[in-house]
Amino acid sequence: MEDDLISKKELLDLTGISYGQLYRWKRKRLIPEEWFIRKSTFTGQETFFPRMLIKARIQNILSMKDDLSLDELASKLSDTEGFSEIRLSEQAIIERNIVTSVAMSAYGSAVRSEEGLYSFEQLLCLYTADTLLARGDMSLEEGRLLLRTLEKHAGALAGKPGELFFVRKMGVALFLLAPSPAELYFDEGVRLVAKVALGDLIEQLKGRLT
Amino acid sequence: MTETDKEQGPRPDLVINGVGSAAGGIYGKVLIDGVGKVGGSLTARLFKANGQIRVKGGVKSREMEVNGILNLDGPLEISTLKLDGILHVDGSLTGESCVLNGLVTAKGDCELEEFRGVGGFTIEGLLSAGHIDIRLAGAGKAHEIGVESLKIRQEDSGIWNRLLGGIIPKLRPALTARVIEGDNLDLEYTAADIVRGGRVIIGAGCSVGLVEYRDRLTVHPEARIGREVKTGD
Repeated sequence: MEDDLISKKELLDLTGISYGQLYRWKRKRLIPEEWFIRKSTFTGQETFFPRMLIKARIQNILSMKDDLSLDELASKLSDTEGFSEIRLSEQAIIERNIVTSVAMSAYGSAVRSEEGLYSFEQLLCLYTADTLLARGDMSLEEGRLLLRTLEKHAGALAGKPGELFFVRKMGVALFLLAPSPAELYFDEGVRLVAKVALGDLIEQLKGRLT
Repeated sequence: MTETDKEQGPRPDLVINGVGSAAGGIYGKVLIDGVGKVGGSLTARLFKANGQIRVKGGVKSREMEVNGILNLDGPLEISTLKLDGILHVDGSLTGESCVLNGLVTAKGDCELEEFRGVGGFTIEGLLSAGHIDIRLAGAGKAHEIGVESLKIRQEDSGIWNRLLGGIIPKLRPALTARVIEGDNLDLEYTAADIVRGGRVIIGAGCSVGLVEYRDRLTVHPEARIGREVKTGD
C-alpha cells in the first residue's frame, strides 16, 4: 500500500504546484476530499494522496486551467455523466491515440456495440487490456479472457473503488476483480503478474478523452 | 409564515422585531432585530441580524450581516459575511468572503476565498482560504491552515486588554495552529508545530517547531524556531 501513496511534499516537488494552488483546488472541489489521506509519520501527521489518481488529476487540471475557469473545471471533472454519454468510432480512438491499433484490431470487434461505436465502459475495457499489453505482462490471447471478465463483472463494481488482479499459476492465467482495498493471499505456486486500480485507469482514460 | 416555500415565485420574508420565534425554511429576506429564535434550517437571499439570535439548524444565504450574537446549530454557507460581534457555527463555514470584527468559532472546516478583519477565531478543522489578513485582538486558533497568502498581526490593544490577556489565555492575541501551509506566509505572535511555505516571514513573538520554505525565509530576532529546512531544490 505504501508505494501507492504520495506525500503532499513529494507531490508538490513533482508537479511544481504550490500549497496555495492545492488548497484552492480542494476548495473548488477539483480534488475530492477522500483523496486527502492523513497518516502519522515520524514528523507528525502528514497528508498523503493516491499516487496515480492525484497525478493524473493534476495533469488534467494543469492542461485545462488556461482555457476554463476553475468553476467550469470543477463541473467538468466531477461530471462523469459527460463521459458516460461518450460514443467514439474506431477511427477516432486510433487517431486520438487513446488505445493502440494493436489492441484495437485484436479486441475491437469483440467489445464494440452493434453500430460500431464505443461507450466509456467499452473504452475502459479496451484501455485496461491495452495497458497490460503495453507493459508486456499479458499475451494477446489472455487479453480476450480479461475482456470477458471485465464485461461480465465490471458493472458490479461501478462507482466503487476496485482492483484488477492478474495472476498466473503454471502458465494458466487468471483474472480477479475485487473491491479495494482487498488483501489477497495466494498459494506459493502463484505469481501475481499485475495489480491495477480501476480508479487509476478511469482517471487516466478521462485525461486522454479531454 | 409557511414552513417551506419551494415555489419559484416571490419568497416570503421573515421579520422579527423584539422577542419572537419562527420556523425554518426558505425565505427571501430574513431580518431579525432583538432576540430571535428560528426552529430549523434557513435558506435566504439576505440574512440581517441585530441582537441575539439562535438558529436550530444551518443557514444558507447569499448575503449575511450580523451585529450581535448569532448561534447556529448547523453549517453556514454564505457568499459574503459581515460580522460585528460573535458568531458560533456548529459545523463547517463555507463562502466567498468574511469581514470580521469580533469572534467567530466553527466546529468544522472553514473555507473562504477572503478572510480579513479584526478579532479572534477558533476553527476546529481546516482553515482553508485564498487570502487571510487578520489583526488579532483575541486568540486565533485553527487545527490546520492552508492558504495562498496569510498575514497575521496583533491589533494595538489597550491597557485593559493587555492586563486581561495575561490572566485569561483566551484573550491573548496570538495564533495557534498545528500546521500552517501556504505560498506567502507573514506571521507574528504565532505558535505552530510546522510551517511550510514558499516565502515565509516569521515575525516577532513566534514559536515554530519546524519551518520548511521553498524561496525565502525571514526570521525576526525575537522569534524562536526549532529547525529550518529549505526544500524544493
